[in-house]
Amino acid sequence: MTLMISNAKRMKPCALAGITCLLAVSAASTSAYASSNSPEGATTDATINVLMPDPPPPNLAAFTAKTGIKVNWENVDFDSMETKIVAASTANTYFADATDVDWSVAGEYAKLKWFYPIEQYLNVQSMMPDVAQLAAFKVGSVYEAVPYDSSFGVTTINTVMFKKAGITSIPTTIAEYTEDLQALKAKGVVKYPLNIPFAAGEWLSTYWYELSYAYGGHVLSTSGKPLFTNPSSPGYKAAAWMVNAMKTGLVAPGEIDETGPLAFHDLVAKGLVATTFQDNAGHVGTLYDNPSASTVVGQIEYIRVPGLNGPVAGLDDPDGIGIPRTAKNPKAAAALIAWLTSEPSQATFAGLNGAANAWSAGMPNRSSVLEQLAAKGLAGGRFLLAALKASQPAFSPAPPVAYPQFSEAVYTNLHEAAAGTESVAGAMNAIASVANQIASEGD
Amino acid sequence: MSEVCPPPSSQLAKNVTVTNHEGLGSASPAQRERRNLRSPGVSRRRRRSDHVGYLLVAPLFVLVVGLVIVPAAFTLGESFFNVNELNPPVRFSGLSNFRQLVENSVVRMATVNTAVYVVVGVTLATLLGILMAVLLQRRFRGRSVVIALLILPWALPGVIEGIVWEGIYDPNVGLLNSVLTSLHLIHHYQTWLGENRFVTIALIELVQVWQIAPLSALLILTALQVIPDELYQVGRLDGCSSWSSFRRITLPLARGGIAIAMAQAVIATLNVFDIPYVLNGTAPTAAPLTMETYLVSFQDLNFGQGYALSLFVTVVTISISFIVVKTVYRQVEY
Amino acid sequence: MRRRTSILHKVGIALILLWTLIPIYWAINSSFQTEAEEGSRPAHYLPLPVFTLNNYGQLLRGGDAFSHEILQTMLNSVIESGFATIGIVLVATLSGYAFARLSFRGRPLLFYTVLATMAIPVYALIIPVYRLFADIGLVNTYAGIVLVYISGLMPLGTWVMHHYFNSLPANIEEAGCVDGANRLQVLWHLMLPLSRPGIISTAIMSFLFSWAAFFFPLVLSTGLSTEPLSVAIPALQTRYTVPYTLLEAAGVLAIAIPAVVVLALNRYIVSGLLAGNAK
Repeated sequence: MTLMISNAKRMKPCALAGITCLLAVSAASTSAYASSNSPEGATTDATINVLMPDPPPPNLAAFTAKTGIKVNWENVDFDSMETKIVAASTANTYFADATDVDWSVAGEYAKLKWFYPIEQYLNVQSMMPDVAQLAAFKVGSVYEAVPYDSSFGVTTINTVMFKKAGITSIPTTIAEYTEDLQALKAKGVVKYPLNIPFAAGEWLSTYWYELSYAYGGHVLSTSGKPLFTNPSSPGYKAAAWMVNAMKTGLVAPGEIDETGPLAFHDLVAKGLVATTFQDNAGHVGTLYDNPSASTVVGQIEYIRVPGLNGPVAGLDDPDGIGIPRTAKNPKAAAALIAWLTSEPSQATFAGLNGAANAWSAGMPNRSSVLEQLAAKGLAGGRFLLAALKASQPAFSPAPPVAYPQFSEAVYTNLHEAAAGTESVAGAMNAIASVANQIASEGD
Repeated sequence: MSEVCPPPSSQLAKNVTVTNHEGLGSASPAQRERRNLRSPGVSRRRRRSDHVGYLLVAPLFVLVVGLVIVPAAFTLGESFFNVNELNPPVRFSGLSNFRQLVENSVVRMATVNTAVYVVVGVTLATLLGILMAVLLQRRFRGRSVVIALLILPWALPGVIEGIVWEGIYDPNVGLLNSVLTSLHLIHHYQTWLGENRFVTIALIELVQVWQIAPLSALLILTALQVIPDELYQVGRLDGCSSWSSFRRITLPLARGGIAIAMAQAVIATLNVFDIPYVLNGTAPTAAPLTMETYLVSFQDLNFGQGYALSLFVTVVTISISFIVVKTVYRQVEY
Repeated sequence: MRRRTSILHKVGIALILLWTLIPIYWAINSSFQTEAEEGSRPAHYLPLPVFTLNNYGQLLRGGDAFSHEILQTMLNSVIESGFATIGIVLVATLSGYAFARLSFRGRPLLFYTVLATMAIPVYALIIPVYRLFADIGLVNTYAGIVLVYISGLMPLGTWVMHHYFNSLPANIEEAGCVDGANRLQVLWHLMLPLSRPGIISTAIMSFLFSWAAFFFPLVLSTGLSTEPLSVAIPALQTRYTVPYTLLEAAGVLAIAIPAVVVLALNRYIVSGLLAGNAK
């Protein structure tokens, strides 16, 4: 800074003029940045910035009409959004009044105090028990965010393919599931029956958490210590099963790099795989039964996640929305959040008030809305309703504080194990050392 | 036909000034003499000339200092501190950031990866750049359109290039697989990325070469355009073949452009991020150093280490560019 | 021998054009297909039998938030790249001239320092610059983003301009000075027109470079008012789907504008680069 000032003496007229011009342009073009000049309490005539990984709901204007609050909705892809949140929060700068909070980073944001405890501005109590996955955002006694959709793991199967392979009953245990996979391959129904997203990305981590849970337990202890280094532990067995599936040809080799046009869900939609152990609830309705994107309309069904001795629950991974501490207008943000998560809005988003107003940001966050959808014939509606009520958090009591670092260790090592450049034991140890390091640095 | 083509120095047209080092336009002795032989007020005029020089350079200086040097100094400083959002407060930590980086096996792997990116990228981009520049050197019908088309890859952000080439490399529906299978060069669709480390890096780098070769070509072409036609004509009269012309006239005189093109390629390949990220995620197999910098800073929130890694990358970039420029420039003799 | 060279030459040109254009063709091809068609094997080399304008329709039809986002960010990209180009050309010409033709104390040091700054990776600078901008209120402004673009390409632009000025004979300024003009007049009336080649090359490089910028504007823009197209396109990937054909259409749009600019100006690129022989 001092350097700039001393050089100012050297600046001659035209350089000064140039810079003044630029600053004038900047003053003229600053927009949402200097928007809300109302004190924290006012909500009318305010403008708020909202940063989300989805485009805005089609009926957003209705919110502005009702409350007078204008919304600048910024849609950025998920990873870029995380970058912006980190950059702005570490610089303690305003970037939005409300933003997406992924279930996985609730713990991290709580520790970093980047977000307001949302109960300060929002009536969370009134959302219970309809909003089933609220607990996913509770860290200690504080809610970092509230979910605006619901999501959890389910297993999906292509019923036509299963029938062709002569499978007559739905698998309920991992052993049965594995047998079915082998049958599908042996009978030539499909070359690579199992879908596992082995590319180095978050999908792989959540896949492993679910499979571990199916094998009998969580991957981390309540204090964040790794529970998967022992070969007889659920996590280890799950990893071994996944890698073995790749080695025995149950999983396509191309899944190592499935980040392209056929993202791993599309493999299901294009009929290239028979089943996905951990799929996302809601996909049948939004993707697999969508004729413009899928060639297997009507063939995919949800089944309960097969476990060691019987079906197990799906693990939560909902998306939340929270209020950063640098927000200029938390009250207005809270108004938007309340609207977004309300029952009428969620019903509209789910398409219950006409397809034009549907917002494809996942399944509704409220059981009541899901109930209505099921009544209207949503694919697998009844099943999803029951599964939502039974879904469990992926980590207890909360995801590790340095979740991104942990997840990175998980998916890169599992990726390496599947690619054959690392052994399962080596992968588990590598992940464990990161988990231990994080746990020791923890609160 | 003579194999030996006379060296160009004797053919040098009088009014082509070719500089023989980094090109600060050091005037030839004749020019310097001419300046000094001016009026006695030469020292006063030089002082005024100084002012004009500073005036013209001022905007550059302000921007560079304000937006590059000051932030870089900040980065340099912070790399010796523990700046970790998850582990406050900020405190001095000496070389510990650097030590932790050296001990980090993923960082070591990324360093090796980056070395491969640089070697593959600079080699291919420079060769392709020279090829393109030479093909475009002489006027031909439609040349301007060809040039315009060739620069297009450089106009696309890396993220988009990654997306486009994803469709080429895709293991299930990619263009490469499709074409090679139709030509019966392979029997079934291959997984190009993610299996073999070197192949993955090379193929990813190929995308970056697609992106930066046009810039290399443009820089080299700029240098080629300065070479007067007379040289080539005289060369042909003396019996040079096209290959000799190329080796004896084009290459030496283009060294300036080639050097800066290589330096640009070094910088670009050392900083590659978007393309590997889109094509292969953050898998360590092909992760470059900048990806580690990003992950350490924005994912692990350990900014101190991120700054330390950036410092390392900067030093390496400057060193390699310097070596490249020094080597390629030095062999020009007149 | 000349005919052999010219066939070789034609083949060479054809090959480099193929190399450059095939990926772009593939993007265009995919952009006219539906998702289902796109996922077929072997691939459809032409967008047949189902040719659809749906992807472009979604992006450009206007009237809904989604296409508004695309159109607004395209406009932002044009504005930001345009101003950055003007800025870079201005600064690079002035400094390039100074480095090439004027001698002043500290010239070599300054020149090398500026060139050396090209070596500093973006990620090293983003947080400090972001904090600086936050302090002086330049976040989410055209000015802030343009300044960053300028500082990014200035070293290269300066080098190109200085190289051009160097290639011009020294006596030209002497002639101008003898006629009584001062330095600045010489620069304006004589040197600038002569250096049009370098200016055009620099302008084109600047525009393309600014157009392709991603990471800095990602962090520095907090809304549609300044977000460029390069940041908006990856956002088309939702958390659950990669709408590939839509992305390809967006990519084609992203390259359309620089393509139009560059093809429209192709005459000037050539006349610019040719004038190295200007005596």
